[in-house]
Amino acid sequence: MTLLAVFGLFVFLMASVWAAAAFDMACRGWVSGLGARSADRPLRVAAMWLTQQRLTTEAPDRMNGLLSIAGYLALAMVGLAMVPLGPDMALIALPTSVVLWGACEALVVVVVFLHGWSQNAPLAMIGAYRYVAIGLPIMLLSMFVLIAAALPAGSLDLRDIVTSQRDLWNAIRQPLGLPLFLLLGLSLTLRGPFNYADSVDLAGGTSVESSGPDRLAWQVARLAMLTGFSAVAATVFLGGYLGPVLPSPLWLALKTVMIMALVIGLSHMAARTPVARMMGLIWMILLPLSFADLIWAGLVAF
Amino acid sequence: MTWLNHLAARAHVPVFVAFGDDAPAEAWTLSRLPGVLIVDTPRAASVLLVAGTIPEALIPYLHRLHDQLPHPRATVLWQSRPTQSIPNAVAVTGGNEIGLVVVNTFADLLAGDRVSEPDVLPNKPPAEWRGVGPHGQGGKGMMGGTPYGRPMAMTDDDIRDGLALDSYTAEFGPFLPFFPPGLVLKLTLQGDVIQKVKATHPPFGSGRPLLAAMLRLMGLPALAVRSLNGGANRRVLQRLIRLSGARFAIPPGLGRMPDGSDVRARFDRMTRTSTDATLQNPSDMALGHVLIGLEWHAAMLVLSSIDAASLQTLCKNSDNDDASSATDGRDPSGHDMHTGHMS
Repeated sequence: MTLLAVFGLFVFLMASVWAAAAFDMACRGWVSGLGARSADRPLRVAAMWLTQQRLTTEAPDRMNGLLSIAGYLALAMVGLAMVPLGPDMALIALPTSVVLWGACEALVVVVVFLHGWSQNAPLAMIGAYRYVAIGLPIMLLSMFVLIAAALPAGSLDLRDIVTSQRDLWNAIRQPLGLPLFLLLGLSLTLRGPFNYADSVDLAGGTSVESSGPDRLAWQVARLAMLTGFSAVAATVFLGGYLGPVLPSPLWLALKTVMIMALVIGLSHMAARTPVARMMGLIWMILLPLSFADLIWAGLVAF
Repeated sequence: MTWLNHLAARAHVPVFVAFGDDAPAEAWTLSRLPGVLIVDTPRAASVLLVAGTIPEALIPYLHRLHDQLPHPRATVLWQSRPTQSIPNAVAVTGGNEIGLVVVNTFADLLAGDRVSEPDVLPNKPPAEWRGVGPHGQGGKGMMGGTPYGRPMAMTDDDIRDGLALDSYTAEFGPFLPFFPPGLVLKLTLQGDVIQKVKATHPPFGSGRPLLAAMLRLMGLPALAVRSLNGGANRRVLQRLIRLSGARFAIPPGLGRMPDGSDVRARFDRMTRTSTDATLQNPSDMALGHVLIGLEWHAAMLVLSSIDAASLQTLCKNSDNDDASSATDGRDPSGHDMHTGHMS
């Protein structure tokens, strides 16, 4: 049964990676005015990268490079595995799953840094350091928001957080929570306004030296993390598997896809500001807002 | 042809564009061509498109760039001088058929009808071993030295906040996709803060669309493509730019010039009108005055907000400007600089 669940999880992950890539390409087509029909197809791009030679700099840190890709993918899978698919149905059934997710967030900063480090190139290194600078305060924000979401449940277990939303979703009960958490999603998946690691001003940042299969693996890991994050967001803020008529895993999948679409849309439509300005924004506006969210949640819980 | 190659041949062709002098006007709107994907790094490309003439002084940079493309790879010379070092390159003169040529070249490559181009340069380090110790560290104890021309990191005084970080001197350009084409800068960086600047090659007098360049730097590549549609649906573009918060994303006062305009004001001007206005009176400024002390992203925004003619003036002024010139090929700790990025 567990094996079947793991297999199902993997299939869902790969299907959602494909769907996210296709939607991302279509979004690009819409926003650029060329139309979604002009978009490329994910499988063709994957095949193209697989046919390319794997090139590296003269002395890359090969082990840490592989570790960063595998780690990113593993963290995405852990995130997805701790999400309850139905009442008492979670692959990683942990009474402190919110804490485990927090650890995953922190480790994403480590793996992205390692990816930049392992390339042995200055633009990749700048991307890596920049990501750490922004990744740390964004994580603080996420902690406040997650603790606020756990308050009504009185538990750090994602299963309890879902059941606490039987009457009202956290997205409505704590209106600041989901928008703030989405910003974390942009950062965890290196997208749009929070893509400080792999951005154009660094010619691809931590990916600047990646080619062929390495490039494909890193992009798959990024999209897998988007799935993992979206499933957690759907669970914490949109009632997870709860919903009428349809089977519970389907509700979860639908809500996950919705969050994914929201994050992808945001990443095409919101501008990125230089790091120093973003740092000010996070510390002076977003963190106080997340604290306000926590106070609000506390007041409502009592 | 394997099924994988067959599938890959139907993907958009990943193209890295090396802009030369007098690049065809259509080269700036290549990202709107069907079946072509303009990529930011040669590592992601299968086709190197050389648009316009590469001056003799920059040919060695082109060779280094060429060898950074993974196999299978091909070069297309578009209204460019043929080069003996890449004998199999496809030459194109007209503007209309470029998309078709690129797509066909890529298909031939994957079908095996076209041989992947070999390296131009020999497979050996561009700079010789100059270290002293077993790992080339050479200098003071574990520090210093220039193994294969790459300086070991050494701390240096910081001009901004007193935090002494490792300083690193290297050449950047002339083909970095977010740089004005042709511009080669020797930069000394601490972290990503620019400490010293010297222009070793001025930018071409190109017609690079600055609004698109700035939008790309702000993480809005799709909007950048939309801005290249020749002015159609300008209102929709303006609305989308406003919605994106791009104006707010540019720090106020960044890159202020003698005419009083900052990057934000220049961005506003570009968004309002479809033309890139030239700067007024850049004559008494040097590149160092504009870039030193800025973090990388902000510095790139500044560079992309200035028209090519004004940048050429700033570069010329930099030649005579002590503040902006690096210590002539050696970083402050006495090392030779790195041999270049995306060159």
